[in-house]
Amino acid sequence: MLSYIDKIKEISRRLLKESKVDMVIGFRKGTVVMMNEPCFVKTVADVDKLVWDSNCGINLANYLANRTEKIGIVAKGCDSRNIVTHIIENKIKRDQVVIIGVPCKGMIDRHNIEAMAEAEIQEVIETDDTIQVKGAGFEKTLDKKEVLQENCAICVHRNPVIYDELVADEVKEQTDVDRYEDVRHIEALSPEEKWDFFEDLLSTCIRCYGCRNACPLCYCPTCFVDESRPQWVGKSQDSTDIRTFHFLRAYHCAGRCTDCGACERACPMGIKVRLFTKKLEKDCLELFDWEAGLTLEKRPPLDTYRPDDPDEFIR
Amino acid sequence: MKVIKIDKKEWAKGLERLSKTYQLFGPAKHEAFFVFKALEDGELPDLDVQNTRLSPRSVIYPQSEKMFEYTLDEDQEDHHILKEIDKEYSSRAIIGIRPCDAKAFLLVKRNFDAPEYKDPYWIKSYEATTLVGHGCNAPCSCCFCTTAGCGPFHEEGLDILLVDVDDTYLAKIITEKGDRLLAAAGWDTKTDTATNDPIENMKEAAEAKITSMVSTDQLKDKSTTDLFEASFWEDVSFACINCGTCTYVCPTCWCFDIQDETHGLSGIRMRNWDSCMYPLFTFHGSGHNPRDTKTQRVRQRFMHKLKYYVDKYDNGIQCVGCGRCVRFCPVNIDIRRVCDLMNSFEL
Amino acid sequence: MGIEPGRLQFSWISSAESTKFVEVVNEITTVIKALGPHENFVKREASIA
Ligand code: SF4
Ligand code: SF4
Ligand code: SF4
Ligand code: SF4
Repeated sequence: MLSYIDKIKEISRRLLKESKVDMVIGFRKGTVVMMNEPCFVKTVADVDKLVWDSNCGINLANYLANRTEKIGIVAKGCDSRNIVTHIIENKIKRDQVVIIGVPCKGMIDRHNIEAMAEAEIQEVIETDDTIQVKGAGFEKTLDKKEVLQENCAICVHRNPVIYDELVADEVKEQTDVDRYEDVRHIEALSPEEKWDFFEDLLSTCIRCYGCRNACPLCYCPTCFVDESRPQWVGKSQDSTDIRTFHFLRAYHCAGRCTDCGACERACPMGIKVRLFTKKLEKDCLELFDWEAGLTLEKRPPLDTYRPDDPDEFIR
Repeated sequence: MKVIKIDKKEWAKGLERLSKTYQLFGPAKHEAFFVFKALEDGELPDLDVQNTRLSPRSVIYPQSEKMFEYTLDEDQEDHHILKEIDKEYSSRAIIGIRPCDAKAFLLVKRNFDAPEYKDPYWIKSYEATTLVGHGCNAPCSCCFCTTAGCGPFHEEGLDILLVDVDDTYLAKIITEKGDRLLAAAGWDTKTDTATNDPIENMKEAAEAKITSMVSTDQLKDKSTTDLFEASFWEDVSFACINCGTCTYVCPTCWCFDIQDETHGLSGIRMRNWDSCMYPLFTFHGSGHNPRDTKTQRVRQRFMHKLKYYVDKYDNGIQCVGCGRCVRFCPVNIDIRRVCDLMNSFEL
Repeated sequence: MGIEPGRLQFSWISSAESTKFVEVVNEITTVIKALGPHENFVKREASIA
């Protein structure tokens, strides 16, 4: 995957030089280990800033909504699915974007890696399959497969589903993954246990809304939690209000969420917010045979009607 | 300034005595990270932690805090009148606060305890709190405290500085508040009066370990309008998702928003932390918002910390270099980079 | 999410189906009464510092 960068640069240079796009959205090298920063590049000279490695987990589709320029965008499998969703929802036009597809082998989970290290990690060296971490008095080499972001480990759409250029041959999709083990575990709980489970899950939430803001789907001009005339949700640290935010946010993503993991990655408190959206994602798959962002041809289940709807009351 | 030695064997016993008259707070592990919390009976603060995920700001200034209560019941004589709420401001102590976080309270104090405005909630709770600091022997690579007006053994803002030396803690008593706390803990303070030398040596060693720096010397002389209109803001703010994490983990951010919540006929007025990163921040009743876009919000954060504050108080930047915003920004927007951009900005 | 089965129900009733509406309402009120008052997700005064 590290070798992709040459091709990404080559394509970006060409697109900019031929004025096919006004900017390319990609990543530049971060200032701390295991972090890269989303950035735009507007000139050929700046293309050299771009990087690609296993720290490009942020979903770049988040930077597209309502933009008016012509944009080249580097897109992993999940980003491409969110671009599809954006196009379906009229957040960007198909002919406005040149999608530089990246067949992805998974992004690494920096919080998890940090938790595994004895002390602060000062240097990280990556190869295609390994992640070597170094710090004061320790050094170890980790198998990249073992330290992937959780959503990457169970991803079944690593290849971009829509693209104009591909930076490398497609990678093999994973087939033997169990996507919903954790959801089944929660489904099996009693209502009281579920209540306690979520109470515990959200106990450290500081309501920064990082999970919401990292999500490409959350582009509403005014989010329901920010609506002040009238105000829908209390703004304090009251647990009912925190819970209301989380449940409603998840429902607003139903049938649209691609499980890109952006929300969980952004949470400064390490809260597994994907557990909410994954349940809805599972339901959409089981009830409507739907996975978000795979095609421009069909409408998502929640904004369409089908005579064979599984729920009797609506048929 | 007196320095005493506390035998680590006596540490727990002293804290136990202390807990009789002080409510104790300290760093403790919560799943994968550390936070400041009220210590339970017999629970010891974990002093090995490098830095907590959230700053101890909430101990003095909770994220959500009641201010007044009221009733709308017109049969009551005092309906529609805001009434003060009885609050508890008994002595408390934060054990194991890092020098940067303690200094941060002084920065915030300039705002909450200003000659023209006094914030009673913050002041009372700050005054009730004794800060027992813990010198940083192994600062993180993101810390840039030494160039942000602070340092790993910085004493300003602390009441006591603890330094870990083998099987003892050296405790340097900085204020009278600190003295009172030591008396209440009842550690044997007479027999072994230590000197300041080892602290000075460790301080130098720790400061030398800090490799991350910012330059702030030019900020004051730069023109506010030039900085405000600088062309780098679009590039700086592009990645920002306006999540507010940087401001919520920060020990020096102070903004809040006041809300009334009514339930039936009774209600409370409360305040909640706010952040310049949020769409409701400075949103006017008219519907106008002078900071309507992401770029404007990001600029506000950095201009406030690195320019307006510098100009208004003439006492350095509104940042102590704790590095939290650098570590936890989900998209890696780095105040050190922005500070240097601002400091070296030329038209 | 910790809401008991039966507490949340959906029905599709046309404005012409008045008898169905009555039936559904009766049925739901019986079920809900049997479940008793809901305690979770009820906010009174904000529980904050
Ligand atoms: S990012 Fe985390 S802490 Fe912030 S609102 Fe979401 S769950 Fe809560
Ligand atoms: S933490 Fe980073 S992304 Fe979030 S508001 Fe601050 S600068 Fe923006
Ligand atoms: S601005 Fe960042 S580095 Fe400075 S005090 Fe706040 S969190 Fe720490
Ligand atoms: S304006 Fe922004 S940077 Fe300044 S104190 Fe408020 S939240 Fe912090």
